[in-house]
Amino acid sequence: MRAFPFARVALLGFAATSLAGCKYWKSEERVTVQTGYRGTAMEHTVKKSDVMAQFAATSVPEPVPAAGPSPPGPLPWKNVQVLNDISVAEFNRTMVAMSTWVAGTGNCAYCHNVVNFASDTANDGKPLYTKLTARRMLQMTRHINGQYGQHVANTGVTCYTCHRGKPVPQGMWTFGDGNQYQRHYLDRDGARVISHEMAPSNANRSSVKQTEWTYALMISMSNSLGVNCTYCHNTRQFASWQEAPPARVKALHGINMVRDVNTNFVAPLVSILPQVRLGEMGDAPKVQCQTCHQGVYKPLYGAKMAKDYPAIWGRPDWAGTPFPGLYQTAADSTQKVADAAATAPVGGR
Amino acid sequence: MALMSFERKYRVRGGTLIGGDLFDFWFGPFYVGFFGVTTIFFAVLGTLLLVWGAAIGPTWNLWQINVAPPDLKYGLGLAPLREGGLWQIVTFCATGAFGSWVLRQAEIARKLGMGLHVSWAFGAAVAAYVTLVIIRPVLLGAWGHGFPYGIFSHLDWVSNVGYQYLHFHYNPAHMIAITFFFTNCLALAMHGSLILSVTNPKQGEPVKTSEHENVFFRDLVGYSIGALGIHRLGTFLAMSAGLWSAICIVISGPFWSKPWPEWWNWWLNLPIWGK
Repeated sequence: MRAFPFARVALLGFAATSLAGCKYWKSEERVTVQTGYRGTAMEHTVKKSDVMAQFAATSVPEPVPAAGPSPPGPLPWKNVQVLNDISVAEFNRTMVAMSTWVAGTGNCAYCHNVVNFASDTANDGKPLYTKLTARRMLQMTRHINGQYGQHVANTGVTCYTCHRGKPVPQGMWTFGDGNQYQRHYLDRDGARVISHEMAPSNANRSSVKQTEWTYALMISMSNSLGVNCTYCHNTRQFASWQEAPPARVKALHGINMVRDVNTNFVAPLVSILPQVRLGEMGDAPKVQCQTCHQGVYKPLYGAKMAKDYPAIWGRPDWAGTPFPGLYQTAADSTQKVADAAATAPVGGR
Repeated sequence: MALMSFERKYRVRGGTLIGGDLFDFWFGPFYVGFFGVTTIFFAVLGTLLLVWGAAIGPTWNLWQINVAPPDLKYGLGLAPLREGGLWQIVTFCATGAFGSWVLRQAEIARKLGMGLHVSWAFGAAVAAYVTLVIIRPVLLGAWGHGFPYGIFSHLDWVSNVGYQYLHFHYNPAHMIAITFFFTNCLALAMHGSLILSVTNPKQGEPVKTSEHENVFFRDLVGYSIGALGIHRLGTFLAMSAGLWSAICIVISGPFWSKPWPEWWNWWLNLPIWGK
């Protein structure tokens, strides 16, 4: 006699578990993309329904109808500093698209002084920070599309890639205690904390804190792109470029791009942004991978929006030199406001 | 070779699972049996195929020899021999050899009139292997999800699969499996040291008995599980370790495709936090 029918109980348990498992398992639910040599488990596995839900939540605006003929004669621009290389019709079309992408359809007044569209200041003489920012962002978009083909390829970026119909894009960050790792997206070097010798030595002075920043940085990229470590690294040796998938090279160009954008375009906006847009340390919001990617390894699932808008690709001879006019305008208008404030009689105008 | 006293009881006919008297004999001290023959067949064929795989591969360095599964594009079909087909045949041979060894052990147990505990225990380890190279690949829809046969290469596979789920230590079944492995190790260490102690007394003292063993552990931890109990416990811990290992990998992919740390969000989402 046996006190406990071990084998039968085990078999029953196995059968019950298998049946329960089959109830939740659908083979078409899993999609795996192989990204390395067979048997290395370099792959990207997703659940189809998760991706479909994310996809359904992403909308790509229809392109604005193609520009018609423009009136003949020289371009009538006053104070157009970036888009002065395109036709009038294309210009207007681009403005309409930008209002949809950033400010809300038809909301010209978000950026412009509607009394004088050419003006960089409001009627009270205060600088229109939205217009100045938009101008700088157009320069940035052309810079990205012109200089960072190794990251954005011929898909390019538009205002919508980041803004998604909202004036302030997702995933902007400012200085704070809890996000020190994000300094790597601006100016902090030394993310490579890994040792190159087997035994511990004094050669690697990276601290635990730096290591944690690197980890947090990597996780922020992983979250931003909706992928895991093996999308860019062969975890046999994270540091090895030889064993890494090509996506890692693309990511490196992306990191360089983000640092360039933050250093030369976004962070300097601190001089024109109002207090309400600044971080608690008084710095301008800065971008990271999330700002464009928003959880997807190809932003907007690779939708090629930019091809419909020649204006945001820039002149053929565009070499990425930042336009000097912007900061002069900003500085001038700020000065004008200050002067006006200093000389205004008490009680205002 | 001389028979030992207990072998007279062991060397009886019958108790076979298949084929009647076929191969029901001993080769020297070794029982052969139908499943002994299939074990030898699959083991020799599989091993020779691995050697051939090494021969057509880039290296004879023992650490780096690698027989890898097919690309995912072959799905659950057969792949060309040099592009993963070899791995498929080796997997078939290995499963055949391991399964045969389980069944041969079952025949021996039947000859001895004992329970099938050893077969079941070894079966747990075989089940873990089968889960890795057959059940999970079938659930995911491609043989390419199996692990490669190579000393370094299979470790690289383990590393990459782990990082695919961001942090595998957050896999709850992995936690349970590790706990069983460590507990099993602790139990074996305690049991082994106890047995070595009682059977190797000081010069001039007699070998100690089970009463001595019980007293030692009652003094040390307040409880002695006993001579039979420790082997039941060991079997339970070891089998549980193997089975939970199999569970922790079979749920990774087929049933959970996100980072494992995210699975624990159920804890943060409990209604007890009064958000």
